[in-house]
Amino acid sequence: MFATYLNSLHESMSRRVALVLFGVAILIAIMFNVVVHVRTLPDGATMLAVGAQPPAPSAIAVPSMLESILRATGSLWMLLAIFAAAPLLTATLEKGWLELVFSKGTARWSIFLGRYLAGLTLYSLMFAVAMLPVALRLWWMTGIGTWQMGVALLIQTFGFAALLAVAALVTLPQKGVALPVIAAAAIWLLTPSLAMRQETFYRIFSSHFVRGIIDWAYRILPKCSELEDLCVSFVQGRTVTSWWPVWSTGAFTLIVLGLTLSLLNRKSF
Amino acid sequence: MTSLAIEVLDLGKTYSAFREKTVSALQGVSLRVELGTIFGLIGQNGAGKTTLIKMLLGLATPTSGAARVLGSSPRDPSTRRRVGYLPEQMRLPDYFQAKNFLRYMGRLNGVDRTVMKRRIPVLLERVGLADSRKPVKAYSKGMQQRLGLAQALVSDPEVLFLDEPTDGLDPLGRKDVRDLLVQLRTEGRTIFLNSHLLSEVELVCDRIVILNNGSVARAATPQEFTCGTGEYLIRVAAVDDAVRAAVAGVAGDAAAEWEQNALRFTPLDRAHLNSLLDRLRGVPVEIESVEPVKLSLEEFFLQVVSGQEP
Repeated sequence: MFATYLNSLHESMSRRVALVLFGVAILIAIMFNVVVHVRTLPDGATMLAVGAQPPAPSAIAVPSMLESILRATGSLWMLLAIFAAAPLLTATLEKGWLELVFSKGTARWSIFLGRYLAGLTLYSLMFAVAMLPVALRLWWMTGIGTWQMGVALLIQTFGFAALLAVAALVTLPQKGVALPVIAAAAIWLLTPSLAMRQETFYRIFSSHFVRGIIDWAYRILPKCSELEDLCVSFVQGRTVTSWWPVWSTGAFTLIVLGLTLSLLNRKSF
Repeated sequence: MTSLAIEVLDLGKTYSAFREKTVSALQGVSLRVELGTIFGLIGQNGAGKTTLIKMLLGLATPTSGAARVLGSSPRDPSTRRRVGYLPEQMRLPDYFQAKNFLRYMGRLNGVDRTVMKRRIPVLLERVGLADSRKPVKAYSKGMQQRLGLAQALVSDPEVLFLDEPTDGLDPLGRKDVRDLLVQLRTEGRTIFLNSHLLSEVELVCDRIVILNNGSVARAATPQEFTCGTGEYLIRVAAVDDAVRAAVAGVAGDAAAEWEQNALRFTPLDRAHLNSLLDRLRGVPVEIESVEPVKLSLEEFFLQVVSGQEP
């Protein structure tokens, strides 16, 4: 699995999509660092200003700044990273390559899991490149701990794991890269609406039966938007009141990934 | 310990997909491949050769029957570590160079890094790619095929499955591969060869199976396939009426047909052939040569697949 993992990272770096996304991540990191100004007052206190806005005390401004960064780009990275990570999965099952790797003495599930983990790493690296430099700079210059961004990175990667698991499952029919990307993007788009189903779907559907189905869809599917809210709570230093989005998304990921690997092992090529 | 490298018992494979016609790719295929031999599998396109190889590598699941490679199931990864495979259509990702491609293939087969460090240059030398510094994407079809052979050998396998190994190679490259196959057999490896180039199969294989419409049509050694047809070709210096009359007098019901100065003759037995030769000498006519007519593997194959089995 580790050999496949390393090879997949090598492969992803040779793909244009991943390189472009890394380029975008670097640009975002530069942009955040350019717009954020830290001023030290004569009494030693620090003030933070974003662009032309009036400066605010760091103790208030730093969590607020981290929240803005997360809201602006955190969830969007998931969607973009799918374009870079899904080809890693579909390429495994391309004719001419699958015969080479699946005829070797490594179990299919292990090869595919290696590719999946490389996809997750790719997302984490992009997230880290875009978000962590500004967080570290703020920590360094204000002395206010921004380690919560590290936790936010883990939580967001957790949400991405669910989307990538869906993409992995949809890869199995070997119909190219479009279908896995569409499936993962559909889930990503659907989850915020499902999280606010009372304001969205319930207004359209009055039937108890349909509402029941929507409710179950919400329970079963990953909760990417709620995971983002959880990240924001974390960086704001607020207490996390419910871990339901974490464990239900985790359960979804494990089940979908387990099903994918099991089907792959049994698949006849 | 078993002396069989591969054992296939009543193997069948049916492909069925939703709203598509069910296709029976293999039916009741049974064969045995001895250790240390080169086994040739030939058949028309769609005869089921690649399906059979895929099942022997655990890539496809049989619908019926069983296959064993080195005494174990090919679905077991530990069995596949002892096996090398060169697929017919190989896709090499652009980002690889020969060495890191072989390294990755070796890692998938559990080969130790230090062993690979030693083995990879030797393998590249063996397939004639030692001097190549190009990335894989710049390789010609022939070079890719050579690299494919190297990756099949990277785990030092006991059994090799080669699907069209000479595809894309020039005549010199094909000869190199043939020599390599013979050398690998000398080293005690078993080779399962699937090729459309029947002349090559005939040259290197110890045993050949003809697969036709998903089942074994014939299995024999190349010598058995190409043994005499019972017909002889007798060349004489000149043919005149006396010679024709002499032949007609001896031939009787046996088939005898003149093609310029050569007579195609199917004697009833050896004594019948000798009496014809005695009569010719008595004409007199100079006999230049007497050769038993043999089928080439290609002729034999064509007769089998067209239903005119010899």
